[in-house]
Amino acid sequence: MKILLVEDEAALRGALAGSLRQAGYVVEEVARFAEAHEKIALHQYDCVLLDLTLPDGAGLDLLRALKANRSAAGVLIITARDALQDKITGFDLGADDYLIKPFHLSELNARVRAIIRRRQFNGQQQIPFRELLVLPNLAEVHVRGELLSLTKKEYDLLLYFLANPGRILTKEAIAEHLIGDAVDAADSFDFIYTHLKNLRKKLQEKGVENYIRTMYGVGYKLSHE
Amino acid sequence: MNLLNATTRYYLFLALLLFAVGSVGLYHGINWALRTEVSEQLADRRRELLAKAQANELAPVSQLATLLDISRTPRPLGFRDTILLDRIENEWVPHRQLTFPMVVRGEGPVWVSLRKSLVEADDLLGVVLSVMLGVLALLLAGMVALNRWLAGRLWAPFRHTLAALRRYDLQQHRPLALPTPAVAEFAELNQALNTLSQRLVGDYEQLREFTANAAHETQTPLAIMQAQLEQLLQVPALAEDPAAAPLVADLYGATLRLSRLHQALSLLSKIENRQFPDAQPVRLDQLLAEKVTQFEPLFEARELRYGLNMNGGPVAVRMHPGLADSLLQNLLQNAVKHNVRGGEVTLYLSAAELKISNTGPAVDGDPARFFERFRKHNAASESPGLGLSIVQQICEYYGFGLEYQLGEAGTRHILRVSFAAAAVSPAAARGAAARASY
Repeated sequence: MKILLVEDEAALRGALAGSLRQAGYVVEEVARFAEAHEKIALHQYDCVLLDLTLPDGAGLDLLRALKANRSAAGVLIITARDALQDKITGFDLGADDYLIKPFHLSELNARVRAIIRRRQFNGQQQIPFRELLVLPNLAEVHVRGELLSLTKKEYDLLLYFLANPGRILTKEAIAEHLIGDAVDAADSFDFIYTHLKNLRKKLQEKGVENYIRTMYGVGYKLSHE
Repeated sequence: MNLLNATTRYYLFLALLLFAVGSVGLYHGINWALRTEVSEQLADRRRELLAKAQANELAPVSQLATLLDISRTPRPLGFRDTILLDRIENEWVPHRQLTFPMVVRGEGPVWVSLRKSLVEADDLLGVVLSVMLGVLALLLAGMVALNRWLAGRLWAPFRHTLAALRRYDLQQHRPLALPTPAVAEFAELNQALNTLSQRLVGDYEQLREFTANAAHETQTPLAIMQAQLEQLLQVPALAEDPAAAPLVADLYGATLRLSRLHQALSLLSKIENRQFPDAQPVRLDQLLAEKVTQFEPLFEARELRYGLNMNGGPVAVRMHPGLADSLLQNLLQNAVKHNVRGGEVTLYLSAAELKISNTGPAVDGDPARFFERFRKHNAASESPGLGLSIVQQICEYYGFGLEYQLGEAGTRHILRVSFAAAAVSPAAARGAAARASY
């Protein structure tokens, strides 16, 4: 899986690339518009992460170039909160998704994974993890061949974990993933405990335990072993 | 009391004083002149009588006594003032009297008293006073009339300046352009005000740019901090020390709070700087339904019951979609945050208004202050207390009415946003339905 990361801030680019590499992607980093333009003309990528504000050109023009090349790459736009018009134009030009800065890296992983999944397999695919098998286009989860019935939030939560296996997810990131901006209103993260508790209980009932580990004071992690 | 009346009062006071002094002076002056004249006339008459006596042309004393006051016994000599009864008018009248000795041939010395009435002097006082008072009254009336006229004419530029200052709004980023009137003082005033406003606009513009730049420059380091801290949490070495990971997690949480605060502040400054020019019809009913779905987990977690009433059909309001989102977001946030476990949130939306009411602990204090920045209901709360400020700013920006009400013994809080003239017709709303779904 090859990703092109276009972001002019070096430190931020480093963090994003690091996180994506940990998730198993091959990442090429680019800081300038001209450089990015050259790369998309020469290489094929599965996904392009595009910061819209570049010092030497408009990110939206890169998007236009990608679409003109009939690139198969999915495009995830990264914007500042106030650039709402850019977001709309981006969607009109064929971007797959957008993230507003600042965002959680685990959220970025989940979005990238979803884009690549949709692009590569036309949605016809499976996500295997240990004894689990998820069929995203049917929104079904199987444990050793048995169907696991989950609520929508529990299913979302599980998919979020599956997009970040082995990675510690902070409670803030989980909360924001579940309820978006409404997270500002949450004085505590009680509501994620409820969903987590139910998800763990349902997994336990099917005989799979300790998939989701609590990292004390930090968050949760989907464990490989 | 206006400036003209104040100066007029001093003028009148001075005029009164001068008139009083003038009246006394005039009275005494005229009185002195009259007495001198009367004395001179008496002296002339004496000279005439003495000359006649010298020439022996006088009638005998017995005859003279019918015309003059003559006595054969000595009397005090010289001028005197005396009062005599006027038999015709039957009143006491002041007289000037001159007594002198005279020798009538063949009859020896006699003493003659000549008298002349001073009655004119008293009448004089009346005349002087009435003339003076008449002039004073004329002066007063003249002053008032002049002031009226001046107030209307001379002060017109001043009132124009005043009206311009009252209307002045720094947020429009335009300096005052006051004209230069003919009167030097007003011209100076206007010039000073123009300079002042230019400086204000300049400073304000600088501050605005500074805020915008600061906001932009803060955003990137914050995003970097957040990303790097999240990466730091993944470092395996961190898991070996049970104390280290929570520290980083706290730091991470604080960074998130800081970045939310930063977003709220830059939103506020953007609204103040009117940087949301593109208004379009936004389907508030759809947006509200979306938001409520988003908030559902929070309602559940706090065991809040909620009611959503949008029976009025589609509601489209002309505003920036981003601000519409912020408005609903912050109103809902407020209703959840300041609620009690097991409480209630009621939402009512019609073409005319949006009403959000929620249960909550009784609060004291002035409702107007709830909209102040960094106003916290609970000092320990993690939220910076900017939500209602943002709501207020958005409402002000679009001219919506915003009203806070306290109901049911202080435990129900009602916020009402009335869209007033900003609402568009249902037909336009249906047309906009396809576009305004974010």
